[in-house]
Amino acid sequence: MTLKTRYLRDRIVVSLLASMTALVVIPLCVIIAYVGINGIGALSWDFFTEELGSPARAMQGRPTGLAHSIVGTLIIDSLAVCMAAPVGIGTGILLSEFPDHPVNPILRVLTSTLNGMPAVLMGMLAFSLVVKPMGRFSALAGSFALALVMLPIIARAVEGVLNITPWSIREAGLALGLPRWRVTLSMVLPAAKRGVVTGVLIAFARAAGEAAPLLFTSFGNNYMNTNILKPMDTLPQRLYSLAISPYRQWHSMGWAAGIVLMIIVLASFAAARLLSRESAGLHIKSDRSKKPESNKEV
Amino acid sequence: MKRCGFILLIMFAVMLSPAAAGRRTGESVLSVELTGAGASFPAPLITTMADEYREVTGGRVTVNYQSIGSGGGIRQFKEQTIMFGATEAYLSDADIVEIQTRTGGTAYTMVITLGSVAPAYHVPGVPSGITFTGELLADMFLGRITNWNDPRLKAVNPGITFPNLPVQIAHRSDGSGTTNVWTDYLSKISAEWRGRIGFGTSVNWPIGIGANGNEGVAGVIMSSPGSLGYLSLVYATLNDIPYGAVINASGNAILPDLASTTAAADMNLPEDTRVSITDTESPNGFPVSSFAWIMIYEHLDQNRAISTRSEAEELIRFLYWCITDGQKLSEPLDFAPLPDAAVSRAAAMLRSLTWKGEIIGSSVIDSM
Repeated sequence: MTLKTRYLRDRIVVSLLASMTALVVIPLCVIIAYVGINGIGALSWDFFTEELGSPARAMQGRPTGLAHSIVGTLIIDSLAVCMAAPVGIGTGILLSEFPDHPVNPILRVLTSTLNGMPAVLMGMLAFSLVVKPMGRFSALAGSFALALVMLPIIARAVEGVLNITPWSIREAGLALGLPRWRVTLSMVLPAAKRGVVTGVLIAFARAAGEAAPLLFTSFGNNYMNTNILKPMDTLPQRLYSLAISPYRQWHSMGWAAGIVLMIIVLASFAAARLLSRESAGLHIKSDRSKKPESNKEV
Repeated sequence: MKRCGFILLIMFAVMLSPAAAGRRTGESVLSVELTGAGASFPAPLITTMADEYREVTGGRVTVNYQSIGSGGGIRQFKEQTIMFGATEAYLSDADIVEIQTRTGGTAYTMVITLGSVAPAYHVPGVPSGITFTGELLADMFLGRITNWNDPRLKAVNPGITFPNLPVQIAHRSDGSGTTNVWTDYLSKISAEWRGRIGFGTSVNWPIGIGANGNEGVAGVIMSSPGSLGYLSLVYATLNDIPYGAVINASGNAILPDLASTTAAADMNLPEDTRVSITDTESPNGFPVSSFAWIMIYEHLDQNRAISTRSEAEELIRFLYWCITDGQKLSEPLDFAPLPDAAVSRAAAMLRSLTWKGEIIGSSVIDSM
């Protein structure tokens, strides 16, 4: 085999890889462009400041918008993150740092099952556990359902990222005589922070697009509500109900809701990337000033 | 780690601050939020009434109605997660008996509006206005008439040239009040339909393509030439889908519209207004029409979704406003206004509503 054919083969494989990547990225771009083109016309100042009210508003050209859905999405999703993140991270730590723990095999089966379950089942569970005892639909129930969607994703991401954190970090901590929980909390978790935050955000993004678990939990609302004990609107659910309505004006508002939802998801990704990169940088710098030999591990 | 904690802290702050603010306004005596859900057909009217009523009361009363379908409305009404439900298929006797044993009182089905279900089609070159008979529709939905150039169709429509095109049936795949109205009509017309298929919010269709929701059926009709389906009238008119007239019991070919829908209800209404008006006797009535009902518990305190007497009183006020002043909103939205007889039946129901054994309906309505 001559050097030339080797180069040629190398180029062919690289271009093959590039075209495969393009195949993955193109549909994403097409979706973004399609949603953008269809929805951009309905994006106006009113869209971000007004409540939906009734279809009569849209048909008669009176101000109508989805301010209440945007606020509701942010509240319900952040509440869900607050519920799911501590439990999910805890599960991940148990699976990765205490591999011999007797509950782990069961836990692993449970998280996989939870991960494979259709999201609408989480909604049904939240309906019977939260809505029925409370006697009414509430944003809280919606958050609970979304937290169940997020939980297995966070747990698996944390387990994965802790598993690839170098063992030498743990050994260093244990050698200093630190207890295992201290090593995990103060050394392993900070080192894996970026991966953990990314995992939480992937879960957030996945849950932010779910409409099914919210139908019979957070229920929806045509008006602004910030009380988490009452029904609240969310973008994915509103998008669905706008899309199945008979009104053209509502169809274009649905596309616009798609744009906003996409921006929220993309922005949260971008913010997380930026945040974790920045703090990781600081971490290395401060480490270097104290213990220059340790920065390879970080 | 510190930074992580900081982020968590911000998240908690974001979550708690609006929640806390909301709780404060929620507790104030002045503002009330009423929750209802159910049928999608009356949803535009009910939400518009809610919007208007909110302005009438100066923002004091907010009514949150979500369209989840008639089946969902009945279910959530029985689960007591909503203060009132809405449905296009009235509560069955079994449901009412169950509610009576559970709450000690009945559940009222109170008329709120009426609507028609139109036979909608996509036959290239043929605009709105094909005339159908009940028998023709039943045979087409049973798969007896398989082509649009069938001589029986031509016989009823001498002025129309039908293409040689197979008939493709589109129907709902979800449980739906629209399906209930449509199959109720076909059951009254055709003994075979009654025996083999029957009626209900979902049935075992002999043929055809199922689609989710009115919009799903509308989508199938628009995209496949030769298709015939049934749609809530507003979906056909707003999407410019051609629809046909149906020959009623008096032998008149009637197109579905507001006047023919209201006319269909021109009959002696029973006290509880649980009545089917399909295949109406009224000479100018469209034969595939139906009331839409609001469901309320007679003993409002027995509904766990209603927690205070003032919520119950506001609910009565809102519903009374809907069947009186609120009816003015019907026509601009293509909804048929209620006939007077139906309004007085509904008012009588509202007047007899109770809270903890005391009849509060009459006094609330009289003080309006």
